[in-house]
Amino acid sequence: MNAPVTTLAPSAARRLGTMRARRVVIALLALIVLALMLASVAIGYAPVDVPAAAADLVAGRTTLPALVLWELRVPRALLGGLVGFSLGLTGAAMQGYLRNPLADPGILGISSAAALGAVIVFYGGLAASLSLALPLGGIAGAGVAALLLNALAARGSSTLGLILAGIGLSSLAGALTALALNLSPNPYAALEIVFWLMGSLSDRSLDHVLLCLPLMLVGWGLMLSIAPALDALTLGEDTAASLGVGLVSVRVRLVTGAALAVGSGVAVSGAIGFVGLVVPHLMRPLVGARPGANLLPSGLAGAVLVLAADLGVRLLATRPELKLGVVTALVGAPFLIALLLRNRGGRA
Amino acid sequence: MPGRGALLLSACLAAAPAAHAAGAAGAPVRVVSMNLCADELVLRLADRDQVLAVTDLARDPRGSTVAAEADGLPVTRGLTEEVVALRPDLVIAGAFTTRATVGMLKRVGAPVLELGVPADLDGVRAQVRQVAAALGHPERGEAMVAALDARLAAITPSRRPLRVLVMRPNAFTVAPGGLGDALIRAAGLVNVAAEIGRDRFGQVPLEAAALADADLIVVDAGAPGLPSLADTLLHHPVFRALARAHRTVAIPNRFWTCPGPQIAEVVARLAAAANARAAR
Amino acid sequence: MSLAAHDVRVVLEGRTILSDIGLTLERGHFVGLVGPNGAGKTTLLRILAALVAPRQGRVTLDGHALSGMSRDARARRIAALFQGAGIGWPMTVREIVALGRLPHRRAFAGLSGADEAAIARAMARTDIGHLADRTEPTLSSGERMRALLARALAVGAEWLLADEPVTALDPAHQLDAMALLRAVSRDGAGVVAVLHDLALAARFCDRIVVLAGGRLVADGRPEDALTDALLARVFGVTVERACAADGTRYILPWGRSGSLEDSDDAIT
Repeated sequence: MNAPVTTLAPSAARRLGTMRARRVVIALLALIVLALMLASVAIGYAPVDVPAAAADLVAGRTTLPALVLWELRVPRALLGGLVGFSLGLTGAAMQGYLRNPLADPGILGISSAAALGAVIVFYGGLAASLSLALPLGGIAGAGVAALLLNALAARGSSTLGLILAGIGLSSLAGALTALALNLSPNPYAALEIVFWLMGSLSDRSLDHVLLCLPLMLVGWGLMLSIAPALDALTLGEDTAASLGVGLVSVRVRLVTGAALAVGSGVAVSGAIGFVGLVVPHLMRPLVGARPGANLLPSGLAGAVLVLAADLGVRLLATRPELKLGVVTALVGAPFLIALLLRNRGGRA
Repeated sequence: MPGRGALLLSACLAAAPAAHAAGAAGAPVRVVSMNLCADELVLRLADRDQVLAVTDLARDPRGSTVAAEADGLPVTRGLTEEVVALRPDLVIAGAFTTRATVGMLKRVGAPVLELGVPADLDGVRAQVRQVAAALGHPERGEAMVAALDARLAAITPSRRPLRVLVMRPNAFTVAPGGLGDALIRAAGLVNVAAEIGRDRFGQVPLEAAALADADLIVVDAGAPGLPSLADTLLHHPVFRALARAHRTVAIPNRFWTCPGPQIAEVVARLAAAANARAAR
Repeated sequence: MSLAAHDVRVVLEGRTILSDIGLTLERGHFVGLVGPNGAGKTTLLRILAALVAPRQGRVTLDGHALSGMSRDARARRIAALFQGAGIGWPMTVREIVALGRLPHRRAFAGLSGADEAAIARAMARTDIGHLADRTEPTLSSGERMRALLARALAVGAEWLLADEPVTALDPAHQLDAMALLRAVSRDGAGVVAVLHDLALAARFCDRIVVLAGGRLVADGRPEDALTDALLARVFGVTVERACAADGTRYILPWGRSGSLEDSDDAIT
C-alpha cells in the first residue's frame, strides 16, 4: 500500500505536548464516556426514579422500575460503551494496519458475516426458542469469517490479498443475507431484520452484555497488543519485520481481535456504521498520526459517539425509533467532511 | 411501458364488461384478488368458481385466516402479466399495495376495485358490503355483517376500562383512529399506545411498555415457523416479569390485520383477558 | 563477529533469484553490494536480515543460524533500512526515529532513558535534531532519507543493512550519507549497502560484492572487484579511472561496452 495517505492531522502538536495531550485526551474521553453512561441510565422512554429503583435493586426488591433499571437501562448503557469502543478501536487498528484512511471495521467482511450468521439463525427459527440465538448466530458468523481470513493471513498472503478477500467475503455475505431475506416466510420479518441490521441498542438485556463482554475484552487485548507493530508497519512490512515484528502474528491478532470485538458487537447491536471510519480521523489531530497512539483514544471516542447517538435516539423520540447507524452517520459525516475540507492541502 | 403493451392489455380486457354491470346482469363476476385482506373477503363471499386467483399470502396459515379456503386456487404475486392473463371481470386490490400493477391496470381501463383501510367497525361493515356487492352477492355481505354484529353483541365488554398496550412488531397501526384502536375500545378498554405515542410500526420500547402502567400487554403469539424478531422480546427478563404478573395476552397478528369476521375474535379475546384480570 | 551466507539458494514464486551464494561479512567494514538491475541485491539483503528464508543453505550470525534466533534478538542485532516503503502516516520525525527502539521495548512500556539517549544520538548523527517535530509529509527527500537512516541507527545494532540508501538524494546528501555509513562502520558496526552508483561505491566502500544473475561474480576491495573486464561483462560499461585532487582514485562509468551478458535473463 504505497498510495499516499491523506493526512487529517495538522502537525501543530509538539513532542512533549503530544504525549501530554494524548494523556489528557484519554482522561477526558474516559470521563465523557462515564458521564454519558450515567446519562444513558438516567434517560429513557419512561420516567424512572433512578435512585429509588437503584435502592430497590440493592435491597433485592424486584420491582418493575428496578428491573427496568437493571435489565434495560444498565445493559443499554454498557452495550453502548462496549460496542462503541470496539468499533472505534477496530477502525483505528484497521486504518493503521492497512495504512489506509478509508478502512473501517467492516472492511474485512466480519460485520457482514456476523449479520449473515444472525439472519441464518433467525430464519432457522432458533430465535424464537432461545433468547440469545441471534447474537450467538452473529458471533458464529464472525467466527467463520475470522477462520477464513486467518487461514489466508497465516499463509502469508499480502495485505492487498487480505483486503480483497475481505471485500469478497463482505459481498458474498451481503448477497446471502439478501437471499435469506427474500426467502423469508415472513414478509414483515424481512423488514424487521433490515431495520435490525441498521443497528439498535433497544430492548437488550444483561445477557447480551455478558455474552459479548468477554469476547470483546479478548479482542481489545489482541488489538491493543499490536500497537507497536502498527507503528512499525508505517515504514512498510520489510522494515517492520526487521524491527522484530512478526507479520503473520500481527495479521492473525488483528483479524481475530476484530472478529471478536466487532463480530460480537454486530451480534448484539446490529451493524452500526461510520463510527469506526470517522473516529480515528477525529482523534488524529488531537493525539498525532502514530497509529499505535490512536488505538485507545479512538476506542473511547467510539464509545462517546455511540453512547451520544443512542441518547439522541431516545431524546429525539421519533416514531419509530431512529436507527443508531443512521444517527452515527448523521453526526459523523459532517465532522469528517469538515475535517477533510480544513485539511485538504494537508499532505503534498 | 410502451403504448403497444398498453394496447395489448386493453385488447385483453376489452371483452370484460364493467364489473357492476356484470353483477347487475347476473353473470358471475370472475375476480382476481391482489391483497391479503381482499383475499379474505373474496374467499368468504364469492362462489369458488368466481375466484380466478388470490395472493400467494392467502395460502399461508401463519398469516392468513383463509388458508384452507385458498388451498387449491391459483395464486399470483401481483404482477400485471399474471393478472391480465387470467382475463378477470374484476380486480380487487388494496389501496396501498401493488401500486404499480394497479396503475397499469387502470391505464388500460381494467375494472379495479381498490379497498381502503377501514378505521372503525362501520368501515368494516361498509367494506364487507362493498365487496359482496361487487361480487354480485350483496345478501352474503349482509349476512356476514349480521354475523359479525351478533358475535360482537355476544361479547361481554370489560367491566372496567383497563389499560391495554399492544406491542405490535408488524407494520400496522393501533394508533388512535385506527381499526386496532376501535377494537380495543369495543372491548371496553383504553388504548395505551395512544398515550405513549410511538406506534406507527407498532414498535413500543420494552421500557415504555413496562412502565406504561398497562393492565394488559398484547403480543403476537408468534405463529410457529414464522420467525419474528419481536419473538425474541418474549425472552427478555423484563417481559418475563410482566408475563409473570399475568399482564400479557397473546393474539395472533393475522386477526388484527384485515376487516372480516375474525376481528370479533380480537374483541372477544381482549374482553375475556380483561375480565379475567379484573376478576383476580 | 560475522554475518555469513552459506551456499544460499533462494526461490521465490518458482523462480530462482539467488544461487550458490557464499559470503562472510565482518563488522567494522562498509560493504557495497552492486550489480545490474534484477541481479538479486535486495533479495540478498533480505536474506541477510532474515526477512526471507533461503530454499537451501543458511545464514549465520557469529556462527549461529539466524533462523534459530528470536525475532527481537535478531532485530536488536541487525538493523535494516529499506527503500520505497515510504511512510504510511504523517508521523513526526522523532516518532519515526523512535521506532528503531521497538526491539528493545517491552510490551505496553514507554521509552526508557536508554531509548531516549539512542534516539538523540541517532538524530544528532544524521543532523536532523532541528526536524524532530516536523511531520513526514513536510520533509524533503534528503531529510526523509536521513530520518529513516536515523531510525535504523537508533536500533544500535551491530549490523546495518541498507537498500539503496542514496538513490533518491542530491549529490551533497549522497556524499553525506556515504560518509555517515562509512563512519558507522568505523565505529564497529558492519554496514552493507545496496548501491547503484559505482563511483560512490568504489570510493567509500571497503569491500565490493558484485552480483549478477543471482550469483556472486566478484568480491573484494573495490579496485580488485571492479575490474574493467568485470564492469564490461556485468554492467556493460566502460569506466574512466583517475586521481582526484586529494589523491583518491576514482572511477566514473563513461561508455557502453556492447550488450549485457547473461545477467538479466534469469532475473527480470
